[in-house]
Amino acid sequence: MAETEKLICSKCKKELVLKKTNFSYLGHSFFTDLPKCPDCGMVYLSEEFVKGRMSEVEMQLEDK
Amino acid sequence: MISEKLLYKTGSVCPICLKPITAERISRGKEIFLKKTCSQHGTFETIIWRGHYDINSWIGNGEPELPEDLQCPNGCGLCPDHLSNTCCTILNITDRCNLNCNFCLADQDNSKEDPTFSEIKESLYKLIKKDKSLVQLSGGEPTVRKDLVEIVRTAKEAGAKYIQLNTNGVLLGENKQFVKDLAEAGLSFVFLQFDGTEDAIYQKLRNSPLLDIKQKAIENCAEYNIGVTLVATLVRDININNVGEIIRYGLKQMPKVRGVHFQPVSFFGRIPKIPSDRDRITIDELIYEIEGQTKGLIKAENLLPSSCYHALCSFHGDFVIDNDSLVPLQNFRKANKETTSVADPADRNREFIGRRWERPESLKFATVKPTVLKPAALKSEAKSCCGNIHDMDYFLKIAKSQSFTITSMLFQDAGNIDFSRLRKCSLHVYDKEKFIPFCSYYLSKWDVQ
Repeated sequence: MAETEKLICSKCKKELVLKKTNFSYLGHSFFTDLPKCPDCGMVYLSEEFVKGRMSEVEMQLEDK
Repeated sequence: MISEKLLYKTGSVCPICLKPITAERISRGKEIFLKKTCSQHGTFETIIWRGHYDINSWIGNGEPELPEDLQCPNGCGLCPDHLSNTCCTILNITDRCNLNCNFCLADQDNSKEDPTFSEIKESLYKLIKKDKSLVQLSGGEPTVRKDLVEIVRTAKEAGAKYIQLNTNGVLLGENKQFVKDLAEAGLSFVFLQFDGTEDAIYQKLRNSPLLDIKQKAIENCAEYNIGVTLVATLVRDININNVGEIIRYGLKQMPKVRGVHFQPVSFFGRIPKIPSDRDRITIDELIYEIEGQTKGLIKAENLLPSSCYHALCSFHGDFVIDNDSLVPLQNFRKANKETTSVADPADRNREFIGRRWERPESLKFATVKPTVLKPAALKSEAKSCCGNIHDMDYFLKIAKSQSFTITSMLFQDAGNIDFSRLRKCSLHVYDKEKFIPFCSYYLSKWDVQ
């Protein structure tokens, strides 16, 4: 599912909005905008994001 | 007298007759030695750690005991007791060379006939695993072969994912068309012999002033988008004090230069004399020198052992240049070898090499001119001129285009070969349909010239 499509939080029934979201991996922290529920703060991670940019960052930080 | 403590029981060879014998790693004060006795030729001892850092935390816990019936090094090729898969495969395509160096592990021989092109083609097709293998074309000096471009093209056609050229760079510096042809044939990166930033160093090691031609080779490779890693053989009293300058020289030329690789001298092939402990440059000493000579720009804690080699064989550091800062991507204290997206350490190592040493297409016309670099942590909240390093997209952009590696490999010779290290080797020479660990392949009796 593309990140631009309308997404609804299954718990709060609110539309997700793009919000700055923080990640950390192997001691490093990063941020990017991701769909987030304005009420409960649940973040939606699309398959495209996980298999794309997120795994690229992981790979860049892993050593030999 | 300082007492000895046994740290680990291993195996080695007698440096005089090459017979496999038992050996021990022992500590005496803060120094660690490999000690072994041949019933015929006596006791030999070689320093392996000078004590700048704690060897136990560097090696880690759980180094396995050697099997009793271990066949090292005579069974090499590879046996069921070998612990690492192949990361990189070396194919020697000539014994000839256009230099006459005082130190040469390959023991160049200009009278020896080269393997034929069809023999090399057959080897390439047998050794290459499609879209996976990293092949190092080596020698002698591989560029002296007139059909090198055709060999690179054949390696590509056979399915090699990465093709590396191990070269002194003389012909790459002299002949730009040659570099263009190699690039078009599919050469991925060049491992450029680069022993220092002063001609006096080349004069002593290579019998010729070579700095200008090395720089020419770097420029020619950059023009055709071939990644270059500078490779320094380090010898006491010749260039160990040039380590910091070599790193600075490389950093100034990023992304033309993708990294610096250090090989403390090993004593096989042609050697001027039997080495003393003073002649040895241990892995901890090199790390100590790197931190000291770069004045902390590269810190010891940002250099880590590699998972597909023994910790006493290799280390690496991975950095990105962000504006005027050199940002380390790994930290020894925080490293977590269990967290990985690639399971086999050999595969992981190969992909690390590939993504760091190759110049991606996006770098074709890129120029980055770092001024005076200062150390920085990825934790820093400071924004650079161009972006915030914590921004995922910006980080990905610079990690791909502005990365720089410091790597090292400490080869073993008849004096310090340790079967526990040999079992973990993932750098293999392909010969006669066998994959042979590098230090086993080149192992030779000490024969002083």
